[in-house]
Amino acid sequence: MNDIFVARNLCKSFGGVQALSGVDVVQRADETLGMIGPNGSGKTSFVNAVTGELSLDSGKVNFGDLDITGVRPHEVVTAGLARTFQAVRVFSSLSVRDNLRIARMLLGDAPHALDATDRAELLQWLKLDNRLDAMASGLTLFEQRRLELAMRLMMRPKMVMLDEPVGGLAPSEIREMMQILQELKARCAIFVIEHTMRVIRELADRVIVLITGQKIADGPPVEILKDQRVIEQYLGTPHA
Amino acid sequence: MKRFLATALQPRLLILLVVGIAMVLSVSGNRFFAFVVGITMISILWTAGMNLLTGYTGLVSLAYAGIAGISAYGTVGLTMRFGWSFWLAMPVAAVGGAVVGVLLGLPSLRLKGFYFALSSLVIQTVLSLGFVYFVNLTNGDTGVSQIPPPDIPFTGGSFHGVSFDLLVMFAAWLSVVAVWAITRSPFGSRLIAIREDEVLAEAIGIDVVRNKMLVFFVGSLIAGVGGALYAPYVGFISPRSFDLLASLSIWLMVTFGGRSTIMGPILGALVLAPVPFMLQQYDTLKDVIYGALIIAVIVLMPGGCYGTLLAWMQRSPTARRILPKRLGSAAE
Repeated sequence: MNDIFVARNLCKSFGGVQALSGVDVVQRADETLGMIGPNGSGKTSFVNAVTGELSLDSGKVNFGDLDITGVRPHEVVTAGLARTFQAVRVFSSLSVRDNLRIARMLLGDAPHALDATDRAELLQWLKLDNRLDAMASGLTLFEQRRLELAMRLMMRPKMVMLDEPVGGLAPSEIREMMQILQELKARCAIFVIEHTMRVIRELADRVIVLITGQKIADGPPVEILKDQRVIEQYLGTPHA
Repeated sequence: MKRFLATALQPRLLILLVVGIAMVLSVSGNRFFAFVVGITMISILWTAGMNLLTGYTGLVSLAYAGIAGISAYGTVGLTMRFGWSFWLAMPVAAVGGAVVGVLLGLPSLRLKGFYFALSSLVIQTVLSLGFVYFVNLTNGDTGVSQIPPPDIPFTGGSFHGVSFDLLVMFAAWLSVVAVWAITRSPFGSRLIAIREDEVLAEAIGIDVVRNKMLVFFVGSLIAGVGGALYAPYVGFISPRSFDLLASLSIWLMVTFGGRSTIMGPILGALVLAPVPFMLQQYDTLKDVIYGALIIAVIVLMPGGCYGTLLAWMQRSPTARRILPKRLGSAAE
């Protein structure tokens, strides 16, 4: 029912380590889905597997009407599912302008590509409009995160998977990024992996908890943060 | 094609064409110097292709001379054994070399950086051994001599002397124009993205495998055209003409001049290609000079002569104003 993303029974192992075992994830087009879990619980493996970076042992992934199981990363992006990385990834030896130019190439002159006005609005929103000639390597981490986001939005994705979008940011920057992510909801569906519980609580409509590759809880943030299993196995103390 | 023509009419490239013609004509009276200039032009052609692979895509292919060799032997075989016109044999052999180049590029899908360079070194060694051992096709270590010059279609004549010099000069210019046009196209931007970060390139929708294979085809095609022209220009080829040292010297020209710039490899070829001829009597000294240059460039000027110059100019506010803002390299 208006599901944009459906992953069924995903399994992935690395030798003897089971990174994902039978993970089911369903996301509606109008909701923001969060994923939490301790380090090594399989969150990034999940994103890597559904976006084609990792091959799955078994399971099925649908994005909209398309079966994207085993599809290569660039085809996943073409289908409208973009992602960011835990360690920010931009073309560091190129300028901000060139980073954006390369990202824009995917749609080229397609009718649904961003026009000049849309692009200017996007860059102004992400406060990159006065940094276009700067080298990406010379940007602060927060600017690089915004550039990473701008590059994805240049491709007009239907959904973005964000891997720890506030990781490494200062408290004031986290507040600003939270504002950006709240506004991002109006542009596309969001799937977000985070360790910072405040981000998940404020941003996500629903949260999935992953522990050692298994989904142990799925529900609204308020309920999840009170869930006894989640407190015992991950949070340690209640996050009311 | 429109982009290619637009690029070919760029003032800087037209100046390059005029300088090339002037260079060839000015030395045409002395066959030795004319020959050195001709070899330099073929080197410029080769460096253009190597630059596309190494400079713009980040794939250091040390099997480059081997690919040129496949095309050279192919052209010689088709013209001398089967009596084909050079103008039919050259494209067939060059495309053959390019297809082999694509196959040899397959390891790059798994290996990166230093490891790919090592695998290409092994491939180059295998190709060199192939040139030695497939005696029926290559005449082994003895090589092939008295290779006829390219025919002039429908006239019964052939290119020789100044006309052949001008032909290789024109081929070198065309290869520079082609690489220039590619680097300014979306394909060129995709190659730069792959060089910078393959994972990110895939994540923003670039088909890395397809683009890598395509650049191997184009780079190898340029190597092949160079090989096809080299054989009749020198009149003699042997496995040593296309060995690892040949690959390394093309790589050195690109690196010395400045990879991922258009002018850098031209500068590298202009400076280094004549060195072996100038130091013919001091063969050992030549190797020492090459070795010293490799170390000096890597340590002192990782961006090469032209790249370092551009970087210096970018730091200078006055010079920066005259530099174009382009994607992918220091300034070009």
